[in-house]
Amino acid sequence: MNLAVLKPGQKGRIVSIGAIGPLKRRLMDMGVLVGEEVKVVKVAPMGDPIEVYIKSYNLSLRKNEAEGIAVEVLA
Amino acid sequence: MNAQSAVKEQEPANRHGNLRPVEQRVLTIAVAGNPNAGKSTLINAIAGSRLHVGNWPGVTVEKKEASFEYQGTKIRLVDLPGTYSLSPYTQEEIIARDYLVEERPDLILNVVDATNLERNLYLTVQLMELGIPVVMALNIYDEAQAKGYRIDVAQMEKMLGIPVVPTSATKKTGLDQLLQVAVSGEKSPQLAVPHQLNYGEDIEAAAEFIAGNLRTSAPALLERYPSRWLLLKLIEGDAEVRKATNLTEETLLPEALHHLRRAHGEDLEAVLAEVRYSLATGLTREVLKKPELPRTEVTEKIDRIVLHRVFGIPIFLAAMWIMFKLTFDVSKPLADWISSMIAGPFKHWAEALLGLIHAPEWTVSLATDGVIAGTGNVLVFVPMIFAMMFFITFLEGSGYMARAAFVMDRAMHAIGLHGKSFIPMLLGFGCNVPAIYATRTLENPRDKALTALLVPLMSCGARLPVYVVFIGAFFPKNGGTVLWSLYVMGIVLAIVMGFIFKKTLFRGDAPMFIMELPPYRVPSFKSLMIHTWEKGKHFLVKAGTYILAVSIMVWFLLNLPWGVEHKRDSYLGQVGAAVAPALSPLGFGSWEASSSLIAGLVAKEIVVGTMGEIYVKKAEEKKAEKPTFAQDLQTAGSGLVKALGESVNNVTSTFGVSSLSTDEDAEKLAERTPLREELKKQFTPLAAYAFITFVLLYMPCVVAAVAMVHEFGTWKWYGIAFGYQMVLAWSMALLVYQGGKLLGFGG
Repeated sequence: MNLAVLKPGQKGRIVSIGAIGPLKRRLMDMGVLVGEEVKVVKVAPMGDPIEVYIKSYNLSLRKNEAEGIAVEVLA
Repeated sequence: MNAQSAVKEQEPANRHGNLRPVEQRVLTIAVAGNPNAGKSTLINAIAGSRLHVGNWPGVTVEKKEASFEYQGTKIRLVDLPGTYSLSPYTQEEIIARDYLVEERPDLILNVVDATNLERNLYLTVQLMELGIPVVMALNIYDEAQAKGYRIDVAQMEKMLGIPVVPTSATKKTGLDQLLQVAVSGEKSPQLAVPHQLNYGEDIEAAAEFIAGNLRTSAPALLERYPSRWLLLKLIEGDAEVRKATNLTEETLLPEALHHLRRAHGEDLEAVLAEVRYSLATGLTREVLKKPELPRTEVTEKIDRIVLHRVFGIPIFLAAMWIMFKLTFDVSKPLADWISSMIAGPFKHWAEALLGLIHAPEWTVSLATDGVIAGTGNVLVFVPMIFAMMFFITFLEGSGYMARAAFVMDRAMHAIGLHGKSFIPMLLGFGCNVPAIYATRTLENPRDKALTALLVPLMSCGARLPVYVVFIGAFFPKNGGTVLWSLYVMGIVLAIVMGFIFKKTLFRGDAPMFIMELPPYRVPSFKSLMIHTWEKGKHFLVKAGTYILAVSIMVWFLLNLPWGVEHKRDSYLGQVGAAVAPALSPLGFGSWEASSSLIAGLVAKEIVVGTMGEIYVKKAEEKKAEKPTFAQDLQTAGSGLVKALGESVNNVTSTFGVSSLSTDEDAEKLAERTPLREELKKQFTPLAAYAFITFVLLYMPCVVAAVAMVHEFGTWKWYGIAFGYQMVLAWSMALLVYQGGKLLGFGG
């Protein structure tokens, strides 16, 4: 499972981050870290990007950026 | 020679040493914090009108500074770009950390969003590595309280070792106390020296090992940089720091890092980020108590509507429509008033004054048609720039800008742009100048440059009069279709060019869309006004100077050599004649056509005016009675009242029935029959269409050019825009004309 395929309302725990370089660092700086709980809040009207809730705030990212983030689905 | 220079060198030393008292020391405070933490509002509330807005050298990132005195201490406030981290990847982060490391401010004022403590503290942890005293403004504290958050400020101070002052920049609470603490920190600096946080046994051991190594091999480095920061950056493998220090993994640190990698994994950058975040998480857990049952927040409720799957896009488009109408309709009457003032009373007064001193005719023309008209050229943009800045700042401050990007990103990303590119592109249809300035909402330099390059393909309002004249002359029956085709052509070519630029100029850059969707907030009115005013002023002074200079140059081009009988003999006519052969494959290779196009450099609507002057034998100058000074004043006054009335009227009409003045304009332009009749003799319909295609696409006008140079601080992007647009205009007009001939539309 990766973050891009979660449905709005679904929660997951981050297992690994496949991104490298600036993208990975940017994700980490925004609190997207292994072990973190993340919830998909919304998908944009045109289907991309998505909005997630992580570390008590809302973050948006494109699906291709979310694809590299592996999650295990919670509840 | 030598003696002289020696004397000169001594002079300043004397002046400082003997004549002037020792300058009072200035306390430099760098303000750092996450985006959306209320940093701008806080600075505006503290510094207000003393704020000076400019750019960081060499980049397009805004720099705000203010100098003032507080309780006898001189303070220089330097606002660092809002960042989430001090990593070396974004322009903002590099600026912030270079400033902190190289310039060494006396104090860091860390603005923290109390409603979003954990992520904000991640930056705080990094600021604490720098060995510079830190004072924290625990901002948006009122909102946190309203949400039922309880923050143990005393505990936070104890754990971090820095003063923490709860503030609310919008309500202006805690600001005095904040400055008090900052100033008292000056008297006993150790008060604000942060604790050295423990990064865990392994990392601390590695840091100690490297420190020992450096003390013998390169002690100067430990002096030059904040040592804790340097050691951690070396462990992280920060590319910039390694380059600056000339230290490679092999030369200095292999053993220390090997051990760390075995224990924590290969990516030490990730390890450090995790350690810093776990410190932030731990701190948050210790000091923050959240209510058990969080209420549905206002932001969530608004987003449910604004980001709705079906209504999201219509709502966005409606918001954009309102912004577009307000920007251009509200400013238009004022702009019209300004230009009528310039063309009327100011010109008369200048002529009268110069007449009094018997100035030669050409100086009168230079003063009125060159300098005064050039000033008018600058001033007419001012209402529009102010209006645009106001709305952009409002959209950003309220939190809707991020949503706009979220809604539009899919479509914009498809052509290589960013969701936020939509707004500049849209504004481009009104006028390219504010559109280019609006690219400042894009953080990534690549997205920003690409957007600015494509904005000129959006057919601006100044091109419309040219289309209308030609459509009236050649395509009166299907004018709507022809007009529509031009707008669509611009958009389609923007998509094509976006794709080409993505594959060529910007190949390899990986743009990101990792963006916070901040909670909605009501922007502070004062903050909004200060920002709008500063930007408008900036345009007036910086861009204005260039625009004026170019206008004067164009005057010379148009009017020299002085006293030529025939326009053909002016420099403009000569240049036009020289260029004409290059345009003949496009169907309009006459000196008249090319001269008009060159004059369009000032503003594209000038093409029409110039054609009028060149083609239509000017009727004998009407000897109209010059209005008196009093009459002029009266016209000016009543004109302003009328303009303001129209502006207000346009605000209301935006929300009701449309009051587009295009019909009126069209009628007015249709009245100029002599020009239309003359054009019919000079152009075939096919050549006419090729000509308006060329007008749509060729070089940006001079004001747009200045905006591009001004906004980017380099001629590079304007150069590229000029080049590709000329090529594009020429090839498309060629395609239209030659292709049309082949298809049998006549030559």
